[in-house]
Amino acid sequence: MIALTGSLLSFVLLYKYLALFGIVYLGAIIVPWPVNIMLLAVGAFSSQGYFSFWISLATAVVANTAGDLTDYALTRYFGERLIRVLQLHRIKFFNHLQAELRSDAAVTVFMTRFAGSLSSITNFLAGLVEVPLKTFFVYDLAGNIIEPFGALFLGYLVGNYWANFSNFLSLIAGIVAVTVLLFVFLRMYRRIVKKYELV
Amino acid sequence: MAENDNDEANNHGNNGERTRLARAVEWIVIGLAIALAVLVVFFVREYLALRYEQALNAREASLEAVLKAHGPLTANDVDIIQDWMTFDYLSRIFSLPADYLKTALSITDAHYPDLSIGAYARSAGESEAAARASVQEAVKNYLLEHASSASK
Repeated sequence: MIALTGSLLSFVLLYKYLALFGIVYLGAIIVPWPVNIMLLAVGAFSSQGYFSFWISLATAVVANTAGDLTDYALTRYFGERLIRVLQLHRIKFFNHLQAELRSDAAVTVFMTRFAGSLSSITNFLAGLVEVPLKTFFVYDLAGNIIEPFGALFLGYLVGNYWANFSNFLSLIAGIVAVTVLLFVFLRMYRRIVKKYELV
Repeated sequence: MAENDNDEANNHGNNGERTRLARAVEWIVIGLAIALAVLVVFFVREYLALRYEQALNAREASLEAVLKAHGPLTANDVDIIQDWMTFDYLSRIFSLPADYLKTALSITDAHYPDLSIGAYARSAGESEAAARASVQEAVKNYLLEHASSASK
């Protein structure tokens, strides 16, 4: 992972915003590379005058949203075929999950923007359960503005010694991701219990 | 009568299924709560380690660290140089003349300054550690030389 981060950082220094766009876009689609660490570094590079903070933020927001929309579009258009091929419609849990997501789309889309790789999975599911494009786009964009801003701003604040804070950021991201998951599943649990009056 | 029996059996089946769903979600919530607790423990450890290193120890130290983090880099900061850094980036953050490192290290690669230390090491047939050390040495020499000439 350290070697990969190093290569990505070189790539960012060489090709600047184009590289940043590519890394964030592919990360938003599903590639599991350290996008938040990249943003932390780019925030630090902005404090050194090597990047512009606002152009970096705009690039990250556009790339993130474009990546999320790609996921959404893929399953929105090819989802039915995929469900049939993978026989997902025969799995009852999947059907329940679909129903839950459909009824709680906005909050789930917004909250999972802060949940790392889970956001890609939510994008795919949102397309699959046909969450309206407008709802998906609005809540996705709102989350995508806040999330990269946090990482860039932290990098900007810590400046030259950003690398000392990368573990710290990863842990914060992990805690936020698990908390978001807990929140989403607790809501789901409460609704199931209420709906079927299980307690 | 038979229809009623069938309805009851169906309701039973659906309830069982729903209970199983609720139970599955319950287990997921418990698993996530455990994961969260573990992450919080690691977070506290990391925070304490940072405090220990005096990065966040006292207000004064933090302020000093922030000022240093945004101030010009000096000869004492060459340890932040990493293999992924490009010569263009190094020249910028250490305020070096654009061709200083090219001359000091006799770099002939046409990609300079858009060349990382790692790529330079590979093209020069050196180890990355050796290349990094020579870059650090060259940067340090320049900064010390110019700091002393500035103080005169």
